[in-house]
Amino acid sequence: MTATEAAPSSATGEVSGAEIRLEDVTKVYPGQKAPAVDGISLTIPAGEIAMFVGPSGCGKTTTLKMINRLIEPSSGTIVIGDQDVRKRGVDELRRTIGYVIQGGSLFPHMTVAKNIAIVPKLLGWDDDRIVKRVDELLDLVSLDPSRYRDRYPRELSGGQQQRVGVARGLAADPPVILMDEPFGAVDPITRQRLQDELLSIQRELRKTIVCVTHDIDEAIKMGDRILILQEQAHIAQYDTPDVILGSPANEFVADFVGAGSSLKQLSLARISEVELRSATTARIGERTAEVAQRAQANGDLAVVVLDDRDRPRGWPWLRQLKGETIVEPTEDLVNLDSRATLNDALDTMLSNGHGGAVVTGDRDAYLGVVDFVAVTDHMRDMQARANQSAAEAGSETGGTRIARSDDEIDHGTDLAGTDG
Amino acid sequence: MWDFIVDRRSQLLINAFNHVYLVLLAVVFATIIAVALAVLVTRMPRLEPLANAVSAIGLTIPSFALIGLLLPATGLGDTTALVAVTFYATLPILRNAIVGLQGVDANLMESARGMGLSEPAALLRVRLPLAWPVILAGIRVSVQMSMGIAAIAAYVLGPGLGVWIYTGLTQIGGKNAVNYALTATIAIVVLALLLDLLLILLGRVTTSKGIRV
Amino acid sequence: MAETRPSKRVAAKRSGLGAGAAIELLGIPIIVLVGFAAYAWWHSVADLDFVEKSSLAWGDVWLQIWQHVRLTLVASAIVVAVAVPLGILLTRPRTKFLAPGVVGVANGGQAAPAIGLLVLLFLWLNGDLSGFWTAILALALYGILPVLRNTITGLQGVDPTLVEAGRGIGLSGRAVLFRIELPLAIPVIMAGIRTALILVVGTASLASFINAGGLGGVLTAGITLYRYPVMVAGAVLVALLALLVEWVGRVLELIARPKGI
Repeated sequence: MTATEAAPSSATGEVSGAEIRLEDVTKVYPGQKAPAVDGISLTIPAGEIAMFVGPSGCGKTTTLKMINRLIEPSSGTIVIGDQDVRKRGVDELRRTIGYVIQGGSLFPHMTVAKNIAIVPKLLGWDDDRIVKRVDELLDLVSLDPSRYRDRYPRELSGGQQQRVGVARGLAADPPVILMDEPFGAVDPITRQRLQDELLSIQRELRKTIVCVTHDIDEAIKMGDRILILQEQAHIAQYDTPDVILGSPANEFVADFVGAGSSLKQLSLARISEVELRSATTARIGERTAEVAQRAQANGDLAVVVLDDRDRPRGWPWLRQLKGETIVEPTEDLVNLDSRATLNDALDTMLSNGHGGAVVTGDRDAYLGVVDFVAVTDHMRDMQARANQSAAEAGSETGGTRIARSDDEIDHGTDLAGTDG
Repeated sequence: MWDFIVDRRSQLLINAFNHVYLVLLAVVFATIIAVALAVLVTRMPRLEPLANAVSAIGLTIPSFALIGLLLPATGLGDTTALVAVTFYATLPILRNAIVGLQGVDANLMESARGMGLSEPAALLRVRLPLAWPVILAGIRVSVQMSMGIAAIAAYVLGPGLGVWIYTGLTQIGGKNAVNYALTATIAIVVLALLLDLLLILLGRVTTSKGIRV
Repeated sequence: MAETRPSKRVAAKRSGLGAGAAIELLGIPIIVLVGFAAYAWWHSVADLDFVEKSSLAWGDVWLQIWQHVRLTLVASAIVVAVAVPLGILLTRPRTKFLAPGVVGVANGGQAAPAIGLLVLLFLWLNGDLSGFWTAILALALYGILPVLRNTITGLQGVDPTLVEAGRGIGLSGRAVLFRIELPLAIPVIMAGIRTALILVVGTASLASFINAGGLGGVLTAGITLYRYPVMVAGAVLVALLALLVEWVGRVLELIARPKGI
């Protein structure tokens, strides 16, 4: 199985998104001669993530904001589902489009719960339903509702604020979500986590998500499709990540994607393609002796501690297990979502000292453990298959693309050598 | 009204001069007192909340009440007016001077001392010049406020344009009542704006080019 | 979780007021109480002659305190009712170009001496308006500027991305104003209201010049009669009332501040 097939088809939920169509949309700001957006047309299929990337000032944010009419197009048509956005009242339209921006943009005078509840309230939901929805959403973005719902934004870290921002965008279950640099304001490790979480949420919900980013790696990781824009929102290329990486449409795209694009294909292969190992697991409250026995029988030196909802909470070595029963771990375990890329996997493995990582699926439930050898084996397989198909198909684009992954494996091991 | 002014122009000029003189004298005293207190606070930071509280509470006390409190000590006339105006003029300058002096980068002060400047020299040649724009902003607030307080002080026979305001009040119904009060009020507004302009100019001249915005 | 750590530190900080603010918030009511008790004690033991006694009769003093409070409250209420909506209007997209002009004019007006404004209005309106309402007009004109200015700066200081976020998730312009902009601007607006309260309560001590009552009456009586006990008593009472009003302003400021900011 190659990355090409894996990316869009790994979604599991029913599509709840709506198609977005832009037809010859132009925006000219008053007092400016050149249009900021010049006749863009594109279709974003329902249930997919479209990433808008391009140099600053290319009109990507303007294009995004025209979808929810924060910026009114000068001409052209935008259709969501089968409705022209201009046929609907602005406020009513926006209540059916989630909007997530950098840093979360939470209202500082409202609690987390109030921030999330704004749109459902506007839509006239009854209080019980709103309370339930808020808790459900907090849970979805991995924040414990009882702990966080009554906090104020300034009592949260940047990553947590951003999670609440995502929850607020999802609150009224809109078919379409617009994101403007959603993870631009957080540190790289938190960003990777948030990306994984969003992918996991998307696997379940399958909304149509339009996301502006300046980070090509983020675009490659997150996008079912990537839109690369030039000045005045001229489309340089609009396609799936592997096509963009494998056969950039022109020099602009090739430059933008960057010289390291062969290494970037590490971002296309997902953990879900790698065979997982099942490690010894333990429940909080279980007797330590029994757990240790089980682990020794399996030949494991560490056990994955799960909570009552199958979420991995810690990965202690056997020698660290003290006391009669397994207690709630205090460590801050960095898990890998099954849609995380091999790039993320290598990063995570290098930082935790286990030479592997715990993989989670929907709602952060435990799936298994991936180790370093499995990842490098998978990469070797990819390479072998690529060489084979290159031999068969000659100069076919897929062949040249994967043929490049020779050096990317070298890079991967180099990385291990220097950082580890 | 024009005839009214022309007829009494010498009196108007004297009152205007007295008014400005009173305010400027008070502000000069106030600046000296405020900067001295602020230097003290900078050296003993524990005094800062106290100084800020005094400054806030002081500004709350109505000027008319302070004038009443001063009378038994300073009597009717110029002294009461000067003391009262100086008191209020000190408070905004004090607040700004504390902020300004403390805002000077500690590293700069350390390097000044490190270069061999004595403590007073470092204060005079580094700290004060750098804090000056902030102090001057306080002085501008002070002058505006003092112009109005000086007018009130005329009630206890202080000098200045306030005299004509009270003249107008006592001549209520008379043909020149409004002329007296209006001329004095307008003159105070005009002089206040002129003084503000002069202070802005003073700021341009006395602020080091390196920190001018 | 590592991510929760910074929040605790912030939460601990929230409860602590600055030392200066604490002195003022706790100190002022103590000063006022002690001061008033001292005055009452002095009043009962002092050896006052007939003139002084009649000037400081409790009935008259209470009446003047009431008049003073009423002047302050009515004028401040008018100030808030005029200046806040005006400030809101001057920050709306369509009318905000007027803001610099209005603030400039208001700033210039601030240079006008309170006593001049009061006397002029009295001379102009003599007979048309009672002394009380003339005083109210002068006090309100005087108090509008700080509230207007702070309403404008407070609203302008609201992070525009929050406004856009509000619009972006489907709040109407009005909902954004009332649910996001105003709550976030409240601390700045309240600071302006407190400044206005101080200006108004102080200027109200001049209202007795135009027969509008207030505690200035005791003070003027003391000065015209040239009786030290009366003028000092009047001054002390005016100062205590002003301090009390300023304290109320501080408390209102604390109460109105939305949690979370």
